[in-house]
Amino acid sequence: MSSHEHGLPPKSSISRWFLTTNHKDVGILYIVTALFFLVFGGVLALLFRIELWEPGAQVLSELSYNQSVSAHGLLMVFWFISPFAFGFANYVVPLQMGAEDLAFPRLNALSYWLYLFSGLLFGVSFFQGSTFAGGWTMYAPLNVPAYIPDGALGATTAVLALVMFVASVTVSSVNFLTTMYRMRAEGLRMRDLPIFSVSILLTVWMMLFAFAALLAALMILSADHIIGTKYFVYQITQSGAVTRTVGNEAASLLWAHLFWFFGHPEVYIVFFPALGVMAETFQTFAGRRLVGRKWFILSMVLVALQSFMVWMHHMFLTNINLTIKTVFMATTIGISLPFDLMMFSLIYTLIKGKVRFKTPFLFTLGSVILFIVGGITGVFLGAVVLDYQFRGTYWVVAHFHYVMVGGATALFGGLYYWYPKMTGKMYDEFLGKVNFAMYFVGFNLLYFPMFVAWETPRRVFEYEAGLTVWHQIATIGGLLLGASFLVMFYNLFVSLWRGADAGDTPWEYATSAEWAVSSPPPMDNFPGLPSYRDGSLSFLSESAVAARLRGDGTASTDGGDPTADGGVATGTALDTATETHLETEDVEHADHASIWPFAVGLGAFLTMLGLSGVQQGTIVGTEYAALLGVGGVVTFGSLVAMTREPFHAPEAALAERFPYADVEKLKLGMWVFLASDVVLFGAFIGSHAFIRVAHGWREWHNLIPAEHVTMPGLINTYLLLTSSFLVVLAMVAAKKGSRRGTVLSLVGTLALGIGFLVNKALEWQHLFHVHSEAFPQGWDLSTNVASSTFYLTTGLHGAHVAVGLVICAYMTIRAWNGAYQGDPDAIEYFGLYWHFVDIVWLFLFPLFYIL
Amino acid sequence: MFYVNKLRDICYRNDFYLSLLLTKDMAGSWLGAHIDGVLLHAGDVRAPADVFGDIYQVFLILGTLVGVVVIAYTLYNSYKYRAQDGAAPESVDRPSLGELPTSGGGGRKLFLSFSISAIIVLSLIGWTYTTLLYVENEPAQHEDRMDVDVVGHRFSWEFVYPNGHSATGTLRVPKNELVQLHLTSNDVFHNFGVPELRVKADAIPGQTTTAWFVGKETGEYAAHCYELCGSGHSYMDATVVVMERDAYREWYNTTSGGNETEAVKP
Ligand code: HEM
Ligand SMILES: [Cu+2]
Ligand SMILES: [Cu+2]
Repeated sequence: MSSHEHGLPPKSSISRWFLTTNHKDVGILYIVTALFFLVFGGVLALLFRIELWEPGAQVLSELSYNQSVSAHGLLMVFWFISPFAFGFANYVVPLQMGAEDLAFPRLNALSYWLYLFSGLLFGVSFFQGSTFAGGWTMYAPLNVPAYIPDGALGATTAVLALVMFVASVTVSSVNFLTTMYRMRAEGLRMRDLPIFSVSILLTVWMMLFAFAALLAALMILSADHIIGTKYFVYQITQSGAVTRTVGNEAASLLWAHLFWFFGHPEVYIVFFPALGVMAETFQTFAGRRLVGRKWFILSMVLVALQSFMVWMHHMFLTNINLTIKTVFMATTIGISLPFDLMMFSLIYTLIKGKVRFKTPFLFTLGSVILFIVGGITGVFLGAVVLDYQFRGTYWVVAHFHYVMVGGATALFGGLYYWYPKMTGKMYDEFLGKVNFAMYFVGFNLLYFPMFVAWETPRRVFEYEAGLTVWHQIATIGGLLLGASFLVMFYNLFVSLWRGADAGDTPWEYATSAEWAVSSPPPMDNFPGLPSYRDGSLSFLSESAVAARLRGDGTASTDGGDPTADGGVATGTALDTATETHLETEDVEHADHASIWPFAVGLGAFLTMLGLSGVQQGTIVGTEYAALLGVGGVVTFGSLVAMTREPFHAPEAALAERFPYADVEKLKLGMWVFLASDVVLFGAFIGSHAFIRVAHGWREWHNLIPAEHVTMPGLINTYLLLTSSFLVVLAMVAAKKGSRRGTVLSLVGTLALGIGFLVNKALEWQHLFHVHSEAFPQGWDLSTNVASSTFYLTTGLHGAHVAVGLVICAYMTIRAWNGAYQGDPDAIEYFGLYWHFVDIVWLFLFPLFYIL
Repeated sequence: MFYVNKLRDICYRNDFYLSLLLTKDMAGSWLGAHIDGVLLHAGDVRAPADVFGDIYQVFLILGTLVGVVVIAYTLYNSYKYRAQDGAAPESVDRPSLGELPTSGGGGRKLFLSFSISAIIVLSLIGWTYTTLLYVENEPAQHEDRMDVDVVGHRFSWEFVYPNGHSATGTLRVPKNELVQLHLTSNDVFHNFGVPELRVKADAIPGQTTTAWFVGKETGEYAAHCYELCGSGHSYMDATVVVMERDAYREWYNTTSGGNETEAVKP
């Protein structure tokens, strides 16, 4: 066993968990951490449920109440539910699809550490005066410092924690997508993925785009906090009197749009993995195949696409017009229909089944029931006239807990379902059932009364005395629900020692590949190379793989070709394979340990904490400056160390790679990342346009000094275009093996890029210090909303240029030492990024200099 | 029994059928003509409170029905097909480890139930859409309506009457008058709502939203803030006083007209 641990210490050793990059270890880390945040958020919830025992503030002060509800929402939605699901995704998806690990194991570990540290950072915010208290939806302008009492440090930290969390999600999305498109077992087409993996695939697609929009919102919000831009505030008032106007009529609506453009897909992001677990366990515990599997998947695809077109149903009470309301009502109702189909599909799967009421199934069956209630009450909200009244009340609270916590219920089922696989031990079935009974009763006692007492406004502790009894029932239910987790934790913990051996699979009729290997699976997951070529799972020995690579395999007599849809061009699979087939042997020696992901996470944590001490452009204390410095050095140093560390993530000799067989995995990863970056810039540009339209397209010019001229922008356009051209030259030179040409071209790129930044710095410097009648104090970041959008959007682009230059400098040094000759791939990937940055500028230039 | 009675009540009302059968334009012009010709006040107008009440009842009844049926059917199936010890050997084809996933049968049933659910949902929403059109367009039909500006402050509500009179904490309106609110905020995002009158709208800094209601019974109605706005959010209430029309007129005449502003604390 230990000889297969690839340089990792044994699991009993603490250091293993800091070094590991293995997907199964990372999965367990995710699960345990997510449960920790569940407890954290849960305790806060119990706190305010106790506060709600009677109307009025007895236990918590007003501001602590607001802090608790806000932190509870943020913790549960961000730090608990999705990461919990991604614990399973990490553990199970590679097994289900026949991969040895994710495409980028160290990035996977990095995702985890960014996640953990972002959560810890959020925890720290409680100790900086007060944490963010404006609700998990963070509506503007309550989310900007002007409206946060006693300094906004804690709130800033909370926002930065979210930024870090989004970074984790983005890295993880890129990783999963690359993995799932390129590393499936031979013969496993995309459509053949087990249903849980399908649900994760679609979740990840939604995450990639939705979180990019959230990232834009959060970056802008942090800028409002840290450098004092004015995106999210219309005017600043102090004790009723307006002390400052900014000219930003769109401020509040902009936040609502950005947030809900993310927020609605987010509800499916948290729910899809739960759907996957439901379908998976219904099949197993009913001993039936999913009814209408194809339609089930199609429904999910439709929902995933449409989820980006319903966000304004959260804004029915703003001043959006009737036409828009109509459209969004229609899309909202439209998106609820595929769920009907999915629910019926689950229900019909039970028919002719051999249903066994084991704990996992109890939880997922319960989850289906809760979701039905949640879905029906969601249709109420989709009826706009009803929504007008439900908005801001406990109806919404009850609805989304039925759907979201209903979804989490399925995930708890998943925990029991995969526990034997992860630990090799069986949990105690009786305690499991007790757990479920307490959970289900507690849940309904907690949330159902909220429908009855729906007239209670959301996020208040004052409510009508007549509703008291319902709130008291809810509080009791909350305590029961909380207690059910004690049973769960006890059961799962004690079973680690006392549990019976689980064997490969304790579940009759389970079909997916994770059940075909030992529990827990060995480091390399499979006893041979998994293949579905013959229509069902088999493990190929090394000699069989070698034979197939030589071409013998294609001549085998298995009449039915499972790849008939063109899913696999066997030829291409072989091409790739010949380059890498030796790696099946190297695997034994590969070192899967790396401390750098942890170090990067730690560095980012320190940096972000330091950054929170910068308020409106001034740093509040030397300790923050120190944190910022140390954090920056640690982050950068670890990133460099990580790049330099020899680390080899093997690719299987035979794998299904449709449709990306010809796209190397790094390149695919880069594409996926750039796709999310497009959304990020799209959101920035969209925000600018939205603000400008709201202000008046022409009147906008009054906010800009005459000194803001086109020339610097035009020069920069030429600089960037030329530099893009030079990257292409560098690539050509490297292909030809001309070291001199490569280095020269890269140096040229570097010089032009630096020129771009210097030119920009001069331009900004000039604008900061203009002295005109209209702008006696200069035109800086916080002068007005036009200056804010200008500096921030072009600044984000400038930051992209700067990052590109760091990479370019690194590559120049390597090229000088002879790298890339005859092997220009790395330059090509850098080029992709650089061209992209270039193209973005082609949009920014007219927008900010000409129009 | 309760629900049956309610359903009957609703169905006996003409406007229920009206809204089912007519598109809003037809309904609107019908109501409009009615108003122009006969009414002097808005006491007969179908206020948002009435609209909400009807729709909510229908949704509750149907929602409960659908929920109970579907959940009962789910439980029934899981129980009926439970694994039994010593059951006779069966001919059902069960999934096996390592197979490629495929569909179980039963597609037709799936589509049938899906279609039924889709029809229920779509017809319900279609119906409520006519009422949405009504709610959105009605105030424009009433030139004699009363317009009031509502401004959210942390943590109080300010009401500005047509004559410029401004009062904090209390909004007085005459009975049976269509009151159109124009809401905005002086600082952060608020939401003004009077649950009993079924009127609610966001109060957004830099923007104006509208909402309307008709107070058909005199009395005091509590208003709350429905969007978290800071430490005093829980206490950010106001009162809407619906007065007899004469009493209201008398009171209104005592307020200073023109642009003079006087704050009235409740
Ligand atoms: C059957 C389909 C569904 C429909 C028709 C529906 C409809 C709606 C509508 C219209 C709102 C806005 C309510 C308001 O603030 O006025 C809402 C809120 C919400 N829904 Fe759903 N929903 C559905 C399913 C789901 C699912 C599957 C989830 C999550 C797993 C979910 C989570 C939420 C959340 C979190 C909110 C509240 C957001 C907030 O204001 O904090 N919903 N839903
Ligand atoms: Cu939504
Ligand atoms: Cu409020």
